[in-house]
Amino acid sequence: MKEKWYQEKTKKKNGPKAERKKLKKHGGPTEEDARKRNPKAFAVQSAVRMAKTFHRSQDMKTKKHHIPLVDRTPLEPPPIVIVVVGPPKVGKSTLIRCLIKNFTRQKLGDICGPVTIVSGKKRRLTFMECNNDINTMIDLAKVADLVLMLIDASFGFEMETFEFLNICQVHGFPRIMGVLTHLDSFKNNKVLRKTKKNLKHRFWTEVYQGAKLFYLSGMVYGEYQLQEVKNLGRFISVMKFRPLVWQTSHPYVLVDRMEDLTDPELVRTDPKCDRTVSLYGYLRGTHLKNKGQVHIPGVGDFQVADVNFLPDPCALPDAQKKRALNEKERLLYAPMAGVGGVVYDKDAVYIDLPASHVNQQQMRPTTELVQSLIDTHATLDAKMAASKVSLFSGSATLEPEDIGEQKKEGLQEESVWDPNTQRERRKVVFTTEDEEDVSGSSDDEDGDSEDSDQEDQGEDDGEKNLSTFLKEARAKCVETTKTGAGAPPVKRPKLEERKGESAEVPAFADSEDDLEVSEDEEESGGEEEAGRAGDSGHCSEEDEEESDDGEEESEELCCEFSILLFLSAGGLKWKEGLQQKASDAFLRQQQAAPNLRKRVYGSVVEVDDSEDEEQELGGLFRVSRPQNSKKFQANAVDSSRFSPDASHNWELEEMLNSIRDCFVTGKWDESQDAATLLKEDGERGEAIHSDDGSSCIACDQQNSENDDDDDDQEESVVKVDDKEAMKNKRLEKKQRLKERFDSEYDDGDATYFDDLKEEMQKQAELNRAEFEDVDDETRVQYEGFRPGMYVRLEIPSLPCEFVTNFDPHYPIILGGLGSSEGNVGYLQMRLKKHRWYHRILKTRDPLILSLGWRRFQTMPLYHIEDHNGRHRLLKYTPQHMHCGASIWGPVTPQGTGFLAVQTVAGVKANFRIAATGVVLDLDKSVTVVKKLKLIGYPEKIFKNTSFIKGMFNTVLEVAKFEGASVRTVSGVRGQIKKALSTPAGAFRATFEDRLLMSDVVFLRSWFPVTIPQLYNPVTSLLLPVGQKDSWAGMRTLGQLKHDLGIRNKPNADSLYKPVVRAQRHFNRLQIPKELQKALPFKSKPKQLQPKGKTPRDLQRPSVIREPHEKKVAALLHALSTVHNYNRKKAHTLQHAKHKQFLQEKGKQEEAKLQRQKEARKKLYRAMGQADQKNQRSSLKGET
Amino acid sequence: MCLQNNNMASQGLAYDGCNFFRQRLVLSTLSGKRVKISNIRSKDDNPGLRDFEASFIRLLDKVTNGSKIEINQTGTVLFYMPGLLHGGSVEHDCNMQRSVGYYLEALLMLAPFMKTSLKATLRGVTNDHTDPTIDMLKSTALPLMKKFGIDGEGFDLKVVKRGMAPGGGGEVFFSCPVRRTIRPVQLTDPGKIKRIRGVAYSVRVSPQMANRIVDSTRSVLNQFIPDIYIYTDHMKGANSGKSPGFGLTLVAETLNGSFLSAEMSSTPQGQGDPMLPEDLGRNCAKLLLEEVHRGGCVDSSNQSLTLLLMTLGQQDVSKVLLGPLSPYTIEFLRHIKDFFQIMFKIEVQKPSEDKRKGGDKVLMTCVGVGYSNINKTLK
Repeated sequence: MKEKWYQEKTKKKNGPKAERKKLKKHGGPTEEDARKRNPKAFAVQSAVRMAKTFHRSQDMKTKKHHIPLVDRTPLEPPPIVIVVVGPPKVGKSTLIRCLIKNFTRQKLGDICGPVTIVSGKKRRLTFMECNNDINTMIDLAKVADLVLMLIDASFGFEMETFEFLNICQVHGFPRIMGVLTHLDSFKNNKVLRKTKKNLKHRFWTEVYQGAKLFYLSGMVYGEYQLQEVKNLGRFISVMKFRPLVWQTSHPYVLVDRMEDLTDPELVRTDPKCDRTVSLYGYLRGTHLKNKGQVHIPGVGDFQVADVNFLPDPCALPDAQKKRALNEKERLLYAPMAGVGGVVYDKDAVYIDLPASHVNQQQMRPTTELVQSLIDTHATLDAKMAASKVSLFSGSATLEPEDIGEQKKEGLQEESVWDPNTQRERRKVVFTTEDEEDVSGSSDDEDGDSEDSDQEDQGEDDGEKNLSTFLKEARAKCVETTKTGAGAPPVKRPKLEERKGESAEVPAFADSEDDLEVSEDEEESGGEEEAGRAGDSGHCSEEDEEESDDGEEESEELCCEFSILLFLSAGGLKWKEGLQQKASDAFLRQQQAAPNLRKRVYGSVVEVDDSEDEEQELGGLFRVSRPQNSKKFQANAVDSSRFSPDASHNWELEEMLNSIRDCFVTGKWDESQDAATLLKEDGERGEAIHSDDGSSCIACDQQNSENDDDDDDQEESVVKVDDKEAMKNKRLEKKQRLKERFDSEYDDGDATYFDDLKEEMQKQAELNRAEFEDVDDETRVQYEGFRPGMYVRLEIPSLPCEFVTNFDPHYPIILGGLGSSEGNVGYLQMRLKKHRWYHRILKTRDPLILSLGWRRFQTMPLYHIEDHNGRHRLLKYTPQHMHCGASIWGPVTPQGTGFLAVQTVAGVKANFRIAATGVVLDLDKSVTVVKKLKLIGYPEKIFKNTSFIKGMFNTVLEVAKFEGASVRTVSGVRGQIKKALSTPAGAFRATFEDRLLMSDVVFLRSWFPVTIPQLYNPVTSLLLPVGQKDSWAGMRTLGQLKHDLGIRNKPNADSLYKPVVRAQRHFNRLQIPKELQKALPFKSKPKQLQPKGKTPRDLQRPSVIREPHEKKVAALLHALSTVHNYNRKKAHTLQHAKHKQFLQEKGKQEEAKLQRQKEARKKLYRAMGQADQKNQRSSLKGET
Repeated sequence: MCLQNNNMASQGLAYDGCNFFRQRLVLSTLSGKRVKISNIRSKDDNPGLRDFEASFIRLLDKVTNGSKIEINQTGTVLFYMPGLLHGGSVEHDCNMQRSVGYYLEALLMLAPFMKTSLKATLRGVTNDHTDPTIDMLKSTALPLMKKFGIDGEGFDLKVVKRGMAPGGGGEVFFSCPVRRTIRPVQLTDPGKIKRIRGVAYSVRVSPQMANRIVDSTRSVLNQFIPDIYIYTDHMKGANSGKSPGFGLTLVAETLNGSFLSAEMSSTPQGQGDPMLPEDLGRNCAKLLLEEVHRGGCVDSSNQSLTLLLMTLGQQDVSKVLLGPLSPYTIEFLRHIKDFFQIMFKIEVQKPSEDKRKGGDKVLMTCVGVGYSNINKTLK
């Protein structure tokens, strides 16, 4: 305390030190100071090191770069697919339920199929649970944007987790987030921490270092803790995604709703008939073209009959300046799980009464709506009929009785009924009225609604959309209820359509169309033709036929461009569409020029419709367009030259003038013209001068002081103006030079990469802007259906099992196929057996591949490339190496990854993924060969020439191999020369050395192998419910043998026999006598006879003692024992004494040595000192 | 026969008549869709495919691998199942009925999507009336393709020998590198014409003919621009083919690098009235003026090539300004819709009153299909 006071007291108030301190206090340039103070520390120490660090930093920077891609994400992206994966009983459904509850405040009982929710203002999520069927895992890995990988921490990792990770790796790596559950089962905190760490690090090695692993610590009332779920939700809703190659280049739909459209009568008569099914879902990936091909994994390839977009059932809230969503906007859509309220599309309306578990308060509006719908259907029927009469008077077919009649005709109509016409009907109903009619009718119907549903009075009029919605729904409801359970509305649509057509003509026909129509009318004589002008592009069948008839007769050129208005198919914002169309039509009327689009595509679009299917040729070819109208030119000359029309006479001056501006010598645009640019520059200069006028004068005066000739003010001004101008010019020039310099040198940072990025950015902007202001109907025709749209795809001829065995727990994916991905061919791939798969794979054993969207069984041939580019067949895959694989399969772009499993049935304990790889090449032929050794034997041997037999059978075979090189087992090389006449197949060959008769001659040749053409799609979705994971395809050879109990008889030579070793006998060593003589005595074999028995005479007699002698001997023995003992005792005593003595002596010796050492030391020191002294003295003596 | 390829979605298309024969086969090859063309000249006195069409099919067979072509006995029905484009060195003796341009136009469309870069030697008639000549394709189609990113070493079209109709005897060498993807383009401003170049060729006639053509041509075109240079190309001996003839190809190059061309060649020997070189020059110049009048960034004979490359581009917006669409192009657009389901947005641009820039233009816009060359081998 005291010290501090002292310091304060003695603080310097002035002087350089105080100033420096002050500077420091105000945050002065300390950095600078440091540099100044200690420049050496900041200097370059080593140029090499600096270069290295620079290199390294640059390397790191470039490593981070990805090839820039054009950002093709739509403005309103589709919901993010979140796949929840994990082994059974790990808490997948609970997690989904918790997340849904977190976002929407709703509880969902059974998680069936995809569940779509609105999670924020800009984001929607689709949750999908993945069961442990490997088929499901494969399919979902292909469509996932984010994978929530649930791991039971109390157990650790399970095979499913790693399998799924490997599947993801192959099919592009979606974002993966691990979630540890069952953490509450740990009682010991330390163990828990350790487990977490271990799991985290293992997870990191699989995904990437630092991948997010989330911990769900425990359950409260069967749910995860609120805060943790909320945090997880936050993570999900801010997550960013990288585009995956396959997903961004293919359109796909994760189906969240399926409706069977097949005629029930047809199903009744033939329960196994192919079904027409409409599938719904958000379109993802990229643009989907109508009439494209799709693959449904687990079912097969199909042609889409029709695609249309529907209003979003789970729309994003409107952009508003607020942070959170209100209750109404927290939407949940899961039709397969039975949530979604009223769902409507062009076929029918589907109503889901809210289940008991759904919060009543939230669902109230929907319920009301439903109630009203149910209540009012009877009265509306009459009303509909009435309104029709009032709308389309003058048409005979539209009396209500008529409708009834047609309904009675039932069967006949049903055979005609087609979903397309139905759509047509809807379309026409909405587009036929002109502006006033629309408003009138809408008013009308609004009135109706008010009349009919008393319950709805509470609804405000602002919700017009809802009311129209309602109307439609009601209409549908009526129809469906009338025609009986789920029967498609039969005839009425068609009637309406006709009426509509006749009614609409005046509104939409532009002059040209009228003309065209009148022509058509003349030719076809059909009244209905009149309606065509205003019809949508998707023309109905009848119209089609009629137009064909008409056109067949006509041979005029103008008929080629059969003119049809090109309005697109029905949408639900029909009013807006109508206005737009009306205005469009008006505009077109205004235009004198022919509508090129109509000219080009008019006839095409109408043909695309249902007629094709009827005109199938042998079930294979579809008539894509009628050629009737073009018969006159069907066989004309095929030339791309466009001969000029003769109308232009290039002799005339005005004709020449009409193109003058196309040349640089002509007049330029205002913005580009050099003269105007110059002039502008001049003006700008003037302006600057006039602005600077006043200040100029001021500075003039200053200047004038210096100037000698400052007589006239004005003169000087002018002069100074000149000077100013000059100065400005110079400045400008400098500026320009500087700019150029800057662009050359400073923009060195703008690398190729940056340029590329900028280019992509520009393209993305253009893509966005191009069709922004076009309405969706037209837009989908140009672009195809945008990702993010909720689409309905209609697929005819799906196998009936798809419908009958439908299980919403299994995902249905519609994967769009590229232009030639619907073909099959040979694929060459690079393959590696998975290191965790415990067996090697055998050539020609069937294998199930997951490639592109598809899962299929095929028979691969493995091969390896030799040094000369030859593909040599392998019998088995190598253990730890890539090899080639050739299959017969679907054409898939190169670079696509695939994975292989041996079987998809059941669950096995060990790792199921057998191999992974990538497609390298596609071809229609293959070049895999296997080695073939032909063996022959010498028949006759001359010097270097031999006759070889047994290799071939005929002369012709030899002729084919003339000049081929052969080799013997011993390595003598040779060449086939010419065939011999006898025996057949023998030939003359020359060798580099003389052969032996025992030699065997080889001819090594290569034999092309054919690849079995097996492509067998895995149809796991068609299996009965509960058995979907039991698909069994072709069995492998091993399995077949095992199942049938076949054992190959092995080659007898290859069998192992017990090793019998005979006892070995060695003969005696015989040394020749001569040698024996020369040996030294020691090595000489001794002539020793074994000792025999001692003969009796040589045996000594035994001594027998007298008793006295015995006693003496005993006493002597005892005495000697005592003596011996005493001597031993004395000896030990002596020994101990001697030891002690030695010890003592040693001690003395040591002491002596010590003494001596010290003495020596003393002596040496003395000697050294003396030496030093001597030296010093000698030095002194010298100096 | 493997028509019902198991469980695959690929479907076929069917057409009538032999018109637009090349378009159909080329698009079929690129899209992998089978095509069946029936009623080929079925009502004609001489029914069935002509020799030049058969020759074209043979050429297709040479550049592809695994194509299946079936023709019925009279030749009135053709079934084509495309294989994969293989490329490599190809030699083909084209039929004399049509010029090499007929075959080359198709090759230009296919060449960037081969497995190995195409090196084609085509023999036959290099210049005739009905098809775009080699000189024209060389001076317009090649720079056009460069704009789509098909460029680099080995992108070349050479007239080795010149052969006039009807005798032929010409030889053309075309080589093209392969590309995996095609770049989208925005060609909306053709720019002003800065220079006119041309080739006046003559074979087996007096070399003076070419000079006479040049003079007469200049007399017309000099009214617009002074920068005109017309090369005279007189081929002699073995390089001159079998028939005499002469002709002119004119190319107008704009500031933005688009090329408009016109051409004319003398009437073949023994067919119709002979033509004076002066008349030919003048008429050809007028044709060029006509082409300029039509305008656009691409001249009329390359419209279909442009539209195809736009279609096969990445999934981005491509735009191009064309002159009035030729009937051939219109049909090509329909075929593109059949094979690739791509529709173009077609907007007519009217010339404003005060500007003297020829007739109506058409702005074609499309989003590419995201086509990638599935033939190219991945190493």
